[in-house]
Amino acid sequence: MPKRQIRKLLVANRGEIAIRIMRSARVMGIRTVAVYSEADGRSAHVAAADEARLIGAAQASESYLNIDAIIAAARDSGADAVHPGYGFLSERAEFARAAEEAGIIFVGPPGKVLAQLGDKVAARKLARAAKVPVVPGLEAIAPSAARDFAARIGLPLLVKAAAGGGGRGMRVVESLEDLDAALQAASREAGAAFGDGRVFLERYLARPRHIEVQILGDEHGNLVALGERECSIQRRHQKVIEESPAPGLSGSTRAAMIDAALRLARAAQYVNAGTVEFLVDGEQFYFLEVNTRLQVEHPITEIRFGCDLVAEQLKIAMGQKVRAPGAPQGCAIECRVYAEDPRHGFRPATGTVVDLRLPAGPGVRFDTHLVAGAEIGAFYDGLLGKLICSGSDREQARGRTLAAFDEFTLLGVTNTAGFLRDAVASERFARADLSTRFIDEFFSDPPHHDQAESDAALIAAALAAQAPVREAENGIRAASTRSPWAELGGFELWRRQ
Amino acid sequence: MKLRVAEEHGEREVEILAREGTHLRARIDGREVSAEFDALATGSGTLSVDGRRFRIVSATRKDTILVAVGPRTFSFIREEEGARHRARGLAAAEITAPMPGKVLRVLVSEGDAVVAGQALVVLEAMKMETALAAESEAVVKRVLVAPGQMVDHGTLLIELSPPAANPSARESDSPAS
Repeated sequence: MPKRQIRKLLVANRGEIAIRIMRSARVMGIRTVAVYSEADGRSAHVAAADEARLIGAAQASESYLNIDAIIAAARDSGADAVHPGYGFLSERAEFARAAEEAGIIFVGPPGKVLAQLGDKVAARKLARAAKVPVVPGLEAIAPSAARDFAARIGLPLLVKAAAGGGGRGMRVVESLEDLDAALQAASREAGAAFGDGRVFLERYLARPRHIEVQILGDEHGNLVALGERECSIQRRHQKVIEESPAPGLSGSTRAAMIDAALRLARAAQYVNAGTVEFLVDGEQFYFLEVNTRLQVEHPITEIRFGCDLVAEQLKIAMGQKVRAPGAPQGCAIECRVYAEDPRHGFRPATGTVVDLRLPAGPGVRFDTHLVAGAEIGAFYDGLLGKLICSGSDREQARGRTLAAFDEFTLLGVTNTAGFLRDAVASERFARADLSTRFIDEFFSDPPHHDQAESDAALIAAALAAQAPVREAENGIRAASTRSPWAELGGFELWRRQ
Repeated sequence: MKLRVAEEHGEREVEILAREGTHLRARIDGREVSAEFDALATGSGTLSVDGRRFRIVSATRKDTILVAVGPRTFSFIREEEGARHRARGLAAAEITAPMPGKVLRVLVSEGDAVVAGQALVVLEAMKMETALAAESEAVVKRVLVAPGQMVDHGTLLIELSPPAANPSARESDSPAS
C-alpha cells in the first residue's frame, strides 16, 4: 500500500509531454487535470485530460510559468498532486515549495534539492565534494580573475549562467578581447531568462560527447540508475538525436559514470527521477549538471528497461520504494522533430498543420500532440514530436528510424524531419562518430543533392499549381474534397460551434 | 502550363509537357524528365522518378505551394509573386522579423537618423539575442513594436525612410505620401 494516494493529478505543462504524463496517470487510475493558456484552448493536451483549466494569457510568464495561477487551478480542481513535465516550472524550487505549502504533492524532488542542484555553481561544489570530476572552471567571477583564469587554462572558454539551462546565457570565448563582452552578454541573457545574472567560466571542450545517466531515488534513501543515454547531437546546446546505449563506451567507463551519478545523487539526497549529465572526452568524463526532472529523451530509457518512468515518478511521489531495474535490452534512438528550418541555421518556423502522416510498425513509437489543423505559433518551444525507434541492436534501431521517417509527412510547418533522416542515414552516424560538433560537421560535408527527389518536388508543385482548386476557409486552398483540406474545413466549422 | 518557382537556391522552371493516364513528361530547367503519378487524392499520391517511387503530399496556401516528398518539405513561391515582393526599395525600407521571437529592446524612436549597421531592434529568438540593423543610412519613419511583444516570422517591426540629406531618394521611394 502506498503511503499517500494520488487520485487527481494536475499536469503543469503542454504539448507532447502533457499527453505523455496523462497516459501513465490514466493507466494508474489517476484522474487528470490539464492547464492551458489562451493560445492553447484547442490543443490536444486539453482534450486528453479529464478536465481542463484556463490559467492565463498566451505568454508563458502569464500562464505556464504562473505559479499562483497553477496552484489555484490545482486547488479549485481538487488535484492532490502536480506534475511539472520538463521545461517551464519543472526545475523551479519555488514552484515545488508553493505546492508543498498548499498541501499538494509535487511530482519531483523536494524544493531544497531543486534549489541546490539548480544552481550550477552549488552543484559543481557538491560534485567535487562527492569526488565526481568536474570540468576545470572558475565559479566566482571578477573580470580580472576571469583574465587570469583564461591565461592559466587557455582558450577557448565557455561562459555559463549559474541558474541556466537549455543553452541560455552560454557563450564560447575564442579570444581574450571577447571575454568581457561575453561575460556581460551572458549575464544579461541569464538575468532576463532566469532573474539571476550570475555566470561562471569553464574550459571549453572542443569535441566532447554528451552522455547522461538516468537515476531514480525514493524518500527512503534508495537510489538506482537506469543506464545511460548518448545525447551528443545538439544544436544551440539543445539535443536533437539521442540513443541508448552510448555506442563505443567501454564497460569500465560506463560503470564509473553510473557510480559517480549515484554518489552525487546520494550527496544531494535526491528523490524522484533525475538525470546526471556528463561531458565525455575519450574515456575521461566530467560532471556537467543535474536535470531535476523528467527528460525529453526519457522514452529511450523506458524502452531499453521495459519501464514507465512517469509511473515510477508517481509511485515515488506516493512514497513507494524504487526497485533495482532489470538488465537493459537492445538499442533505442530518439529523433526530435522541431518546427525549425535546418537549411537556415535551425531558425524557428510557425504555421498550421495541413497534413500529418505518422509512422507505425514494430519498434516504432511517435510521441506528439499534433493533429491536422493544429497551429504552431511562436509562444512556446517548437518541439512537434519525437520518433523513438528500437531494435535488438543499433543497426536495427537505425533501420527502423529511416523506414519510419519514410512514412512520416508533416505538411504546413517547416520542420526538421528531412534533416533528421539524412543525419541518421549519414555514414558518420552509422559508424557512431558522435560529438557535440556533429551537426556542424554534418553541414560542412552535406549529403549529395538528390536530383530525383528534387525533380519529384518540382513536378508535384506543378501538378498542385494546375489542379482545379477550391477555396477553403482561413485562406487555404484545397485541391479536392477528398483531400485533408476537407477535414481542415470541417475542423474550422466545428470550432465555431 | 509553365511554372516558375523561387526557392532558396534561386529560380526553377518546371513545365508539364504531356500527361496521359499516370504517365507524364515534364521539363525542369530545360531538362526533360518522365515520371509516373498515381493519385490517391488530388494533391497526394506517389510519384516515380528515375526508378524511385516517392510519396508526395501537396497543397497551396496563398502564393505558396507546399510539397512534402516523404519526410522532407519544400515550399515554393510562384515567380510572379516573388517578383512583387521584391519591389523596388522595399527591402531596405522595412525591417521585418527574420524569425518568430520576442522583442527585447527597441533602440530607436520615430524621427531618429540612423547609419548603416546601426542596431534598431533586439529580438530574442532561439534563446539568443539577435540585433537587427539598418542596411543603409535612413530615418526611422515608424516603430511598430514595443519591448516584450511576440512577433511572427515576417512581422513588420520598423519602417525606414531615406535620409533627410537625400531628398531625391525620398521622392522616389515614398511618392505622394
